[in-house]
Amino acid sequence: MISGTLFKREIRANYILLIIFMGVLTMYSAMIVAMYGPGMGDGLKSMAESMPEIFAAAGMLNVGTTLLEFVVGYLYGILLVAFPGVFIIILANRLVARYVDQGSMAYLLATPNKRTKIAVTQALAMAAGIFVLIAYVAVLIIVVSQIMFPGELDMGKFLLVNVALFGMHLFFGGVCFLASCLFNESRLSYGTGAGIVIASILIQMISQVGDKFENLKYITPLTLFDPRGIIAGDTGALVQCVILYAAGLVMIAAGIVIFKRKDMSV
Amino acid sequence: MNVIEIHDITKDYGNQKGVFDVSFNVRKGEILGFLGPNGAGKTTTIRQLMGFTKPDKGSLTISGMDCFSEAKDIQKNLGYLPGEIAFIDSMTGDSFIRFVANMKGLKDLKRMEELKKMFELNASGKIKKMSKGMKQKIGIVCAFMQDPDILILDEPTSGLDPLMQNKFIELIMEEKQRGKTILMSSHIFEEVERTCDRAAIIKDGRLMAVEDIEKLRSGKSKTVEFRLDSEDSAARLAALVPGALVKKKTVTAKVKGSMDGLLKQASQFTVVDMDVHTASLEELFMHFYGGGSND
Repeated sequence: MISGTLFKREIRANYILLIIFMGVLTMYSAMIVAMYGPGMGDGLKSMAESMPEIFAAAGMLNVGTTLLEFVVGYLYGILLVAFPGVFIIILANRLVARYVDQGSMAYLLATPNKRTKIAVTQALAMAAGIFVLIAYVAVLIIVVSQIMFPGELDMGKFLLVNVALFGMHLFFGGVCFLASCLFNESRLSYGTGAGIVIASILIQMISQVGDKFENLKYITPLTLFDPRGIIAGDTGALVQCVILYAAGLVMIAAGIVIFKRKDMSV
Repeated sequence: MNVIEIHDITKDYGNQKGVFDVSFNVRKGEILGFLGPNGAGKTTTIRQLMGFTKPDKGSLTISGMDCFSEAKDIQKNLGYLPGEIAFIDSMTGDSFIRFVANMKGLKDLKRMEELKKMFELNASGKIKKMSKGMKQKIGIVCAFMQDPDILILDEPTSGLDPLMQNKFIELIMEEKQRGKTILMSSHIFEEVERTCDRAAIIKDGRLMAVEDIEKLRSGKSKTVEFRLDSEDSAARLAALVPGALVKKKTVTAKVKGSMDGLLKQASQFTVVDMDVHTASLEELFMHFYGGGSND
């Protein structure tokens, strides 16, 4: 069902991109975890009190007192949504639309491989990229937490939050992959994928600032990703997480079907 | 027996772009030249043969299989050289060739090495930094290395220097000897004339003719220019050749078909120099179809 040769080629072509994002997130994650604790945590809190709108927009207001709540509040509200989001925008475009735009897709299609096989391979390469990035950050946070605050992190719930985060990004992946399969030009694929992802994040940020714009949360898919609800053991949050997974997979499947049927200008 | 069958295809891109009601076949073991000026619809047709696009109407088959829905099986025995070179820039030439070989499931790389040697190709550098000719050679290696029975080549000699063009023609003739079926597009008649059995001529998206090369060749006119030793002999030669023009020591004559008569006449004089101008593709069409644009 997948082409090993193509999958390997994608690993070689994209691992540097992955490493860059890993590096950026290593810095942020380690920094936030290290800030936990009586002294530094208070510092962040007083900063939040001095500019509540900005912290509210980033979902960093009223962060709880446990290490889990602290990490989820400061990292899973915005940083771990936005950075991997950008990674996905770039990766999804590279995997399909760029080949078509450049014309090198002709060489892939001029081989005895079904279009479906090529598209499934690319979708899997994207999912693997997202998975590695998120799994890496989760492991990093666990390791840093264990070193600095042994035994303080509620492991089970933390892993569950990451499962939900992967669902969130699978959804973004679905959007960007669909766009990448739909358009023959990189700029349209980029524009659509990036437009939807960035708009989702911005709308969520605005909806979190005060009551005036609260209803905006109903038009951004990001609302379905509710890490605080998951920590609280809220069933609704888990259902929403399942919806994200399902929607992401449906969009990826739609992308594959479109790729199979479309006219390619190569 | 027809290997490639194109039956009444139309692909309309608007603004008179595309191909309209095109039908022709390529027989087993022949080389068919697909001739037409730039933008005539050659690549549009080839894209449909490769299964990159579907026709609006009509059908295309290769070895009896539908070019779009059964592309995977067709590709098992087909070599393709795209008209536009678009490799993966970040790779080296060798790693790209190997990548394509792996994608094709090719185990035996003997033919690849032979081809690289034949075209004197050293492809160890990054593709991004290669000249057009180098890239074209890589494309040729990719198309021929699996030793397929069917070859579809879109303007194969573009970017090659004359020496390499000749090598390419040798390769094509050799493949023909081995019974390959080849469809080769070009906008240069001479290239097709040297290699092909028949030519399909396309203009403005419409097929104008499918003819034997011999017939096309006989319809083609050449302009021959002799420079003689004196104005006097020039005038005398011009008097012997109907329709010849004379200007000082130079005699210009148009020849259709055999050269023999003109050369025998000219040999009676002292010829200092001789030039032969072949008609362009457009002129060829004009002659072949008695002038006037097709409508």
